[in-house]
Amino acid sequence: MASSWRLVPGQALLHRGWDGAFVLYNDLSGDTHLLSDDAMTLLLALRDGDVAPEELAAPELADLLATLRQLDLVEPC
Amino acid sequence: MTTIASLTRAQLGEHLAGPGIHLRTGRFTTLLRSPIGGVADGIHLLYGDYPLGEGFADFHLDLVRPATPRRWLRPQVSLLYDGRSMFKPLPLDQAFPMFEWGLNWCVSSRANRYLIVHAAVVEKGGRAAILPAPPGSGKSTLCAALVGRGGWRLLSDELTLLRLDDGLLHPLPRPISLKNASIGVIRAYVPGSVMSRAVTDTVKGTVAHVRPPADSVVRAAETALPAWVVFPRFEAGAAITAEPMPRAETFMQLAQNCFNYSLLGAEGFAALAGLVERSQGYRFRYGVLDEALAFFDSLTGVRDA
Repeated sequence: MASSWRLVPGQALLHRGWDGAFVLYNDLSGDTHLLSDDAMTLLLALRDGDVAPEELAAPELADLLATLRQLDLVEPC
Repeated sequence: MTTIASLTRAQLGEHLAGPGIHLRTGRFTTLLRSPIGGVADGIHLLYGDYPLGEGFADFHLDLVRPATPRRWLRPQVSLLYDGRSMFKPLPLDQAFPMFEWGLNWCVSSRANRYLIVHAAVVEKGGRAAILPAPPGSGKSTLCAALVGRGGWRLLSDELTLLRLDDGLLHPLPRPISLKNASIGVIRAYVPGSVMSRAVTDTVKGTVAHVRPPADSVVRAAETALPAWVVFPRFEAGAAITAEPMPRAETFMQLAQNCFNYSLLGAEGFAALAGLVERSQGYRFRYGVLDEALAFFDSLTGVRDA
């Protein structure tokens, strides 16, 4: 498991949120994803540099990061 | 303004068989030519209130009988777009439905100034209800009842056009397409409706088209504000239910019903998000048209659901 992650270059994180659910436009695939509050918060934190590498290495985040990686939203670095 | 109704059936047939007519539907003009009597019959019956244009046309459509040996055995019709055949020929009896389907294809594949949703859309008091649904859900039946008996204005029964710049809905009032059992349902429910001859054995089963109300045609330049997105499902005998939908789910389901969402990219995303923010979504089940119309009327009394 990678210990550090970043947004995939080119992702602008165009999104809208309502009542704890988010829709996100994927700039690379052209797809739109339905995301949870947790997933969106993590993506924004990665974009803004608000998450430390040790937090990203926490086992609790492994599944979520793997899912976001499958969507080409994040990548290990 | 000159309308199709200014031409007699014979004159219309001559124009169609000769130079063609410039048929204006909403903001689109189609140069339509065809020597086929069934096409002239359908236009004469259902498009009387539509303006006749001239000059530039967005789409050039010809409905012709292909000159193949097959014509001696089983007459067929071909639809030509800009002089080219884009679709498989159909039995000649289906010439008018083929025109309707062809014009839908022209708009849904070419009008990329709009986000185009596969949905009916009706308006009352300036606010519009969008009804996206797969075939068989009762969308067009409900749409025909809303405009025929419910006092709603028809913007479209098939193609919802969302303007990208201001998020308003642009009308494209055209005849309402009914299939199979819906034809008899609307004949009984809207007794004064004018309907084309039912054509059997099409890919959609038996189809007939309903003439749109003249008021809807005249107001074809009058936009509407999206207010509700109602996903209908008809179930015979079912009690009415209207379950409010979370906005994110409304967004995702609408996106699946768009023709050009992916093509428009981020611009389509922003337009759809704006629509969803202005609208309340419902998952709607109905079994009786009177009850369905009462539900839609109840919406118009609610400012912010």
